[in-house]
Amino acid sequence: MEEASGFRKELVSKLLHLHFRDCKTKVSGDALQLMAELLRIFVLAAARGVCQAQAEDLDVVDVDQLEKVLPQLLLDF
Amino acid sequence: MEEAEAEEQQRFSHRQRLKAAVHYTVGCLCQEVALDKQVQFSKQTIAAISEVTFRQCENFAKDLEMFARHSGDCFCPLRRHAKRSTVTTEDVKLLARRSNSLLKYITEKNEEIAQLNLERKAKKKRKPEDENRDFMELDADVVGSDS
Repeated sequence: MEEASGFRKELVSKLLHLHFRDCKTKVSGDALQLMAELLRIFVLAAARGVCQAQAEDLDVVDVDQLEKVLPQLLLDF
Repeated sequence: MEEAEAEEQQRFSHRQRLKAAVHYTVGCLCQEVALDKQVQFSKQTIAAISEVTFRQCENFAKDLEMFARHSGDCFCPLRRHAKRSTVTTEDVKLLARRSNSLLKYITEKNEEIAQLNLERKAKKKRKPEDENRDFMELDADVVGSDS
């Protein structure tokens, strides 16, 4: 379906269940799919933000740019 | 005592495996952006984005669980809703509330997903022993199916 990369539903499920406090908490299939998409956007936003933070014409994107981008990224989410 | 240690070790390994899986997916996504923007991401950057993503999942999970449980606290005069133990797409949409564009995108994606799932269910309902199907219909199946 998606030609682009993304998070597999199974991985998303395990990631969420790792932090649920109640063992009875479940996630619907649709919610898992939507979460996978949300996570994908999160990562893309981080990656693109880092690219944009690059002032000069560097070929390699480094961690410094991520530090600049992180506060806004977390505020948006 | 040893059992507790073994359990702790298992939990740690499980966590590490999940981190590795996240790292792999993050790497793939960064690769897409790299191609698009004609840049290269350093390994440290990919690792850092991966770490942030993994940690953000904890916030997401806890929020989602809260949202589902909280749904029982409504003051609807008609009936009392039971607290939910299943996280739904409505809960996920709440996660996206801080940014208007994000919320809009997620809402649209949700509708897309719902639509796709409806179509998939409709396909499954068609009986397989229906040999009298048109060849035209068969062709449509091949063209319209997703990979």
